[in-house]
Amino acid sequence: MVEKACTAPARPKSCDLCTVRENSICADLGPREFSQVEKTMARRHVDRGKAIMAEGEPNDSLYVVVDGSFRLSKILEDGRRQVTGFLFPGDFAGVRATGSNAYSAEALEESTVCFFPHKFLEDIAADAPGVKDRLIARGQTEYHKAQDHIVLLGKKTAEERVISFIYLVDKALGVDAGPGKRRVPLPMPRQDIADYLGLRLETLSRTLTALKREGRLDELSRHEVIVPAASERT
Amino acid sequence: MKNEWRKYLAARAPRYTSYPSALHFDRSVSREDYADRLSAVELYEPLSLYVHVPFCKKLCWYCGCNMRVENDYGRALRYVCALAKEISLVGRRLGGAGRPRSVHFGGGTPNYLLVDEIADILQAIELEFGLTDDSNLAIELDPRLIRDDDISRLATLGFQRMSLGVQDFDREVQLAINRVQSFEMIESAVGEMRRAGINDISFDLLYGLPKQTLASFRDSLEKTIALAPDRVSIFGYAHLPAALPRQRLIDSDSLPGADLRADLAEQADEALIAAGYRRIGFDHYAKPDNALAVADREGRLRRNFQGFTDDLALTTLGFGASAISSVNGLYAQNEKSLTGYYDDLAAGLLPVARGVELTAAETAIAGAIQDLLCKGSANIAPVLAAVSTEEAGQICIRLEALEADGLIYWGGNVVQIDAAARPLSRCVAMALDPYEFPRKSDLKASLARAV
Repeated sequence: MVEKACTAPARPKSCDLCTVRENSICADLGPREFSQVEKTMARRHVDRGKAIMAEGEPNDSLYVVVDGSFRLSKILEDGRRQVTGFLFPGDFAGVRATGSNAYSAEALEESTVCFFPHKFLEDIAADAPGVKDRLIARGQTEYHKAQDHIVLLGKKTAEERVISFIYLVDKALGVDAGPGKRRVPLPMPRQDIADYLGLRLETLSRTLTALKREGRLDELSRHEVIVPAASERT
Repeated sequence: MKNEWRKYLAARAPRYTSYPSALHFDRSVSREDYADRLSAVELYEPLSLYVHVPFCKKLCWYCGCNMRVENDYGRALRYVCALAKEISLVGRRLGGAGRPRSVHFGGGTPNYLLVDEIADILQAIELEFGLTDDSNLAIELDPRLIRDDDISRLATLGFQRMSLGVQDFDREVQLAINRVQSFEMIESAVGEMRRAGINDISFDLLYGLPKQTLASFRDSLEKTIALAPDRVSIFGYAHLPAALPRQRLIDSDSLPGADLRADLAEQADEALIAAGYRRIGFDHYAKPDNALAVADREGRLRRNFQGFTDDLALTTLGFGASAISSVNGLYAQNEKSLTGYYDDLAAGLLPVARGVELTAAETAIAGAIQDLLCKGSANIAPVLAAVSTEEAGQICIRLEALEADGLIYWGGNVVQIDAAARPLSRCVAMALDPYEFPRKSDLKASLARAV
C-alpha cells in the first residue's frame, strides 16, 4: 500500500511569497476571504514517493500543489494499478471530502503542497459563499485530469498520444528555451508515462525516438524534452 | 467414484463457459445493441480481449471449433486486415474507454499466422485500446506449426502464457484423430518456451478419444507430468457426428464406452493430483504456485469463454469470425462464416450476427452457476427469487434429487458440492438451468457429455 506522508504541517509565514498564487491558486479570492483561507491553510513538504492521498483511505482536505509533481493512480477491479494522471503546481486534489479516496496521489519528486481542511472551508462559506469554487477556479482538479486522460487514450496513433501528452505537460511545466522553443520537464519515470498512455514501454521509447527523428522533438533526455513552441507546431 | 454417481457421468451437460450458452443465442441482438454497450464502457473498466484465428493446416477429426483448413496464406492476410478493421471499429466506439488487461489468441490455430501478423494484430490493439507492460498475453499453439524462432519472438512480443494442444501422446490415438505429433516435438517446444522465460505453459489433453485405453492414457499422463507444464486442462471429447460432420471421420466403434470414459477421467485426476497439481474447478489443473492456483486458493477463480481463469475482467471483447463478446449483460457473437464477417466489415459494420441479452433471472442463474463451478458452492436465493414460482419449485425438486444422491449439501440457501463430486459440477449447475429441462429433448444432440 502507499505510505502516507508524515512530515508535520507548517503554517506558511506568508502566502504573499507563494509562487503559484499569481497564476492560479487563491487568485480569485477577495482580501477578506483570503485572510480567512490563509488561517485554515497549512503547507507541507512531501518526500519523493510519499502520498498525500491513499486510495481507500478517508480524505478531509483540499490539496493544492505548490511545488513538485504527483502521480495519480488507482487499483482497478482486476487488482492492477492504473496511472490516471499527474498533478503539477497549481493543480488540486481532494476536491471533496470522502470516507474513501478513489485514487492515490504520490510525489514524483520532493514536493510542497498547501492543504485546506474541508471543514474550515465550509465554515467560512457562510461568510464567503462559493469560496471553494473560486479557490479552485483556475487550477485543475482530478476531474479535469480524467477528461485529459480520456482525450489522450482516444488518440489512435502512439505518436499523437505521446506528443499530446508532452504538450499537456508543457502547459503546466514548460519554460521558454530560446526562440520558438519550449523546455518541458518530465518528472515522471518512462514506465509511468507508458502506463498512463496505454502503451508498452518499448512502444513509448520507439515513439519518442521517431518523434525526435521527425523533428517534432528537438531534444530528448531522461527527464526533459525540448519541443517547438505552440506557434511553431505543425 | 461412488457407484450411485455413475449415472451422472453419462449425463449430457453444457460446459457453461457462458450462461446462457451460445446455443441459445439468436438474432434478437443486433450490432447496434453491441455498439450501444461499447459506448457505455467506463474509462477504467478492465477488458479481456479474445482474438479468434479460424485457420488450421490440417483437419483434426475431433475438433468442434469454428475453423477451416487453409492452404493459401494470402487468405489469412485478408483475415488479418479484417481483424484490424474490426479492432478499429470497436476502438472508435470505445473512444479511449476501457483498459485491456489480457489478450488471448485462440483458434483454430493462432500460430497458423506468422509472428509478423500476430505482431500487427497486437499493435492494432495497443493503438486502439492501449496495452501496458503488465497486460497478460496468451496464445494457443499447434506444436506442428512452431517455426524456428517463433517461441522466442512471441516471448519478445510479450506473450507470457503459451498453451499447447497435446490431446494425447499415443500414436495410435493420434492416427485415429488425424493429429500426429511426436513426444520429441512437444518436448522441444516446451524447452524453447522455458529458455525464452515462459513460466506459464499449459497443455490441453482430451479423454474419450478413439483407441484410448487406460494404459495408453496413463502413458500420456506420465509424459505430460515429465514435461511439467504449469497448467493442464483435461477435456472430455464430445462425439457429436450428427452436428459436426468432420467427427464422422472418427470410427464410433473405437470410442471408449461410458465406463471407460469415467475411468480415464478419474485416472487423469488422480495422476495429476499425485504429481502435485491442484485441481481447478472440474477440468483444469495447475501447479500450486501458478496464477490460476493462487486465484483459486484466494477465491478469485472465474469462468469465461476460455474456461477457468484468473482474469477478473467482467467485460470480454471478442474479435474475429464467431468470436463472442460479453458486455454488461449482453452477449454478442460475430458472424461465423468468413464471407459474412468480411462483408460486414467491408461495409464498415460491426460483424455481430446474434446474441442474447440477459434477463434478471438469467443474470441470477449465471451468477449462481459461476459460483458453483468456480467455488463449489452458491447462494441460490437470488435465483429462486428471480424465476417463476413454478420454476423455483422445479429447481428445488432437481436439487433434492442431487442431495439424495449425495452430490450436494443444501442448507438454507447455500448449495455446496461434495468435494469428491466436483468433477460433476456441471450436473449440479444444470439443475439451476431452466433451458435444460423444458426442451431437453431438442437439445440433447448438441450438448457435450458431463465428463
